[in-house]
Amino acid sequence: MARAIRSNNRFDLIILGTCVVLAFAARALPNTLRDPVATGMRRTFLAPLVMLQENAERGRQSLLSADAKQSRLDSLSLGTMKAGALETENDRLRKIIGLGSRLRWGFVPTEALHGRGVRDETTVILSAGSRAGVSRMSPVIAPEGLVGFVDQVDPTMSHALLWTHPDFRVSAMSPDGTAFGIAQAHLTSATGGYLMELRGVPFRATLKPGAQIVSSGWGGVWPRGIPVGTVLQEIKTSEGWARTYLLQPAVNPADVYSVMILRRERLAKGMDGVWESVAQADAAAQRIVVSGDSAAKAAALAEAAARRAVIDSIARANGSPLLGVTAPTPALDDTSAAAVAARAAQRAAARRAAAARAAADSIARQGEANPTRPDSIRRDSARTDTVPQRPGARR
Amino acid sequence: MNLGGAIRAIISFLIFVVLHYTLRPLLGWRAPMDFLVLALLLASVRVRPATAAVIGFVLGLISDSLAPDALGAGAIAMTVVGFGASYLKAVFFADNLVLNAFFFFLGKWVFDIIYFVGEQRVKGVELLQQLLLWSPLSAAVTAAVGVLLLFLMRPLLEPAPA
Repeated sequence: MARAIRSNNRFDLIILGTCVVLAFAARALPNTLRDPVATGMRRTFLAPLVMLQENAERGRQSLLSADAKQSRLDSLSLGTMKAGALETENDRLRKIIGLGSRLRWGFVPTEALHGRGVRDETTVILSAGSRAGVSRMSPVIAPEGLVGFVDQVDPTMSHALLWTHPDFRVSAMSPDGTAFGIAQAHLTSATGGYLMELRGVPFRATLKPGAQIVSSGWGGVWPRGIPVGTVLQEIKTSEGWARTYLLQPAVNPADVYSVMILRRERLAKGMDGVWESVAQADAAAQRIVVSGDSAAKAAALAEAAARRAVIDSIARANGSPLLGVTAPTPALDDTSAAAVAARAAQRAAARRAAAARAAADSIARQGEANPTRPDSIRRDSARTDTVPQRPGARR
Repeated sequence: MNLGGAIRAIISFLIFVVLHYTLRPLLGWRAPMDFLVLALLLASVRVRPATAAVIGFVLGLISDSLAPDALGAGAIAMTVVGFGASYLKAVFFADNLVLNAFFFFLGKWVFDIIYFVGEQRVKGVELLQQLLLWSPLSAAVTAAVGVLLLFLMRPLLEPAPA
């Protein structure tokens, strides 16, 4: 019994000694052998444990960086929100720059300082005054169109009435000059905001929804061609002799922060080419349509000529009269039924040819014509833009 | 130890090893618990000293393979701790949580002493600081976690009723 215990103890000590010697041997291994041994173990039977440890380390790093990531995410979100506003502002500034390059001269770029009072939705303070060349009744415009006009001028700032002001009026028209009227603010409801209405449009002049309305240039305050708005619908009023249209304003004054004041000397030179991009696009589209029609017409004529040539060749082979060869005109005094029918057929053919020529001429004129016809202003429908002076009102 | 007990012991051992490579790096404490030492101690008290020495040697090599600079140091420490735990199991093998906690504490501390001395990477005051401050702290954490796991895994670790 005692010998067995001693034997077991000796065996345990031998194993212990072996393990310790092996461990010391491993400890004493040179680096050139140590690394391959460790790498081999990691890549073989220890690979699952290594993978577990890596995942745990990655999880720990994720936990530790969660707050930093959240901070970065918040910063990014904040930056994105600011980026949207900056993008909008950049877009507006680009438009302003574009408008400035089209105007070329005679304008004063300025900031519109909105108040927050009740009356401030109809007026605005501008950061340019008489020192910058601003004078009273100078138009205030934005890249989208008409904003208002200057009514008071200080050396360094000025005060402008927006189109939302009850006293604001502008003579407006359709770009083709077929409809004229007076545009003014239209309060839809107490909380619904402002639209515009075009009053006094002659009854015979109809405007379709979406039609653009521009300033007519009458009255001397507003040059011709500044966008005022687009037609939404016709509204019924008590004036039976004229139409009134509801307009979607080109400019929402509450969103305008950068505007331009036109100098008086610039008004005399007109605004040609400044806001004509929309009209030019319409004209280009019309020309494309006309060109397409012309091409289709040419193709149809070629096809008809080919068909006629085939029929003529068949007729020539049969010995019958050729198609298209005019039969001798019956004498006027020939009263036979055949002669009467032949004369009627000739008259009808002549009428058709004349109608075709007229249509072709009309299409050609339409393609070449400028959609804006400056010579088509109707005197009887023209009105001046007016700002009624209230008795005793200070300007 | 019957077959069922051996299987339960092996499962417990594997759980401790897996915890060592998942929970320990996830927590990343400065004074970490050592589930490998716990696994070795729990296995050592169930086997004879020679087997415990072999288990310790293998566990030490496993831990050393992830730190090749100290290859062998962990193997020496684990071998000695495993052999000692198995040799002294008559002293510490008791159904007393406090004694088990002390057993875990002592095992971990001895392991750290042998490991850091054998590793020879930390020297001087830093070694003293490691052995007298961080190692006892780590041993205490290991003991606390070991007791907690003993409590939680009691159905798995208790010997099957006769």
